[in-house]
Amino acid sequence: MNSVECEFEAEVLAAVVQSRWPERTDPVLRAHVENCGICSDVAAVAGVIDGCQEEMRSAAVLPDSGRVWWLAQMRARREAAKEAGRPITVAQVLSLACAMGLLGACFGATSTWFQGTLRGAGAGFEWKTLASGLGSVVSEHGVLAALALALVVGVPGAVYWVVVRE
Amino acid sequence: MFGDMTCSDARRFEAIDESQAAFVMDEDTFRAFYDRTARGVWAYLARVTGDRQLADDLLQEAFYRFLRADSTHDSESHRRNSLYRIATNLARDARRRNLIRIPAVVTGDDIERVAGGGDHAVATERQADVSRAMSRLKPRERAILWLAYAEGASHREIAGVLGVGTDSMKSMLFRARRKMAALLGHSK
Repeated sequence: MNSVECEFEAEVLAAVVQSRWPERTDPVLRAHVENCGICSDVAAVAGVIDGCQEEMRSAAVLPDSGRVWWLAQMRARREAAKEAGRPITVAQVLSLACAMGLLGACFGATSTWFQGTLRGAGAGFEWKTLASGLGSVVSEHGVLAALALALVVGVPGAVYWVVVRE
Repeated sequence: MFGDMTCSDARRFEAIDESQAAFVMDEDTFRAFYDRTARGVWAYLARVTGDRQLADDLLQEAFYRFLRADSTHDSESHRRNSLYRIATNLARDARRRNLIRIPAVVTGDDIERVAGGGDHAVATERQADVSRAMSRLKPRERAILWLAYAEGASHREIAGVLGVGTDSMKSMLFRARRKMAALLGHSK
């Protein structure tokens, strides 16, 4: 026996849950409970909780087991489908990012304005230079700029349109 | 539940093989297990959270997670303990997300029944007393007391459900019981 449990605790609990407490219980056990703080707490607390647990259980309005099973199946399938679709989405995003990177690399390699701006950036940035540079890029690489813009705006738009249509 | 599913999702959904969505437990075993345990788990959740509506939601989630757990169980009590452990974690998560409103186990209907008198009134009054006392305990104390005295769980089982050591659990049970007895006016 130590300070948090008593050797008669289980007997007291058994008497309470079997509705023998206190009348149909051994007088020796009753006398012990009178003098034992742990056992008297067990008798009091277990008595009230055991007394209301059946009412609590009967108050439950539960869905039918078949319905719970069906919903669980549907949810599991849905989660599996989502899981299966994840690599496809990742591949789509990666390929789009690669395409944009390739386009940027082509632009960087072919544009004298871009290379000039890069060189100028080392000397110091100026808004006036940027504005004149943008003007020259449109005049020199109009087709390329339009294509880049079309890809940036068009590809996500096309993807969205396809998904919505599906 | 399926409102936000697109056609491509639906195609993938149809393509999912039965085995991918299957659970370790078969339907008949699950239904029998559910019929045996659902009321007890609901009462436990309602007591621990103090909210019957939340207990409804958590009950379904608990059974779903139990099915998805993909673990085999040696015995009925092992299976039952796993379910209670899931329910306990869900109640704890709900508390962290501030979903628990205390106390709400005594409803307006209950108050009317008490006013009506009779055996039912006595029972409802007892429920109200227990609810009042329990609402002043910590959720973990409520869980311990309910598992010990309503579910008849052993010290080891309670420790397993709450994820604590058996010795710590014994001390926690002692303190919770002391507190509850004092709240019920039975303390020595």
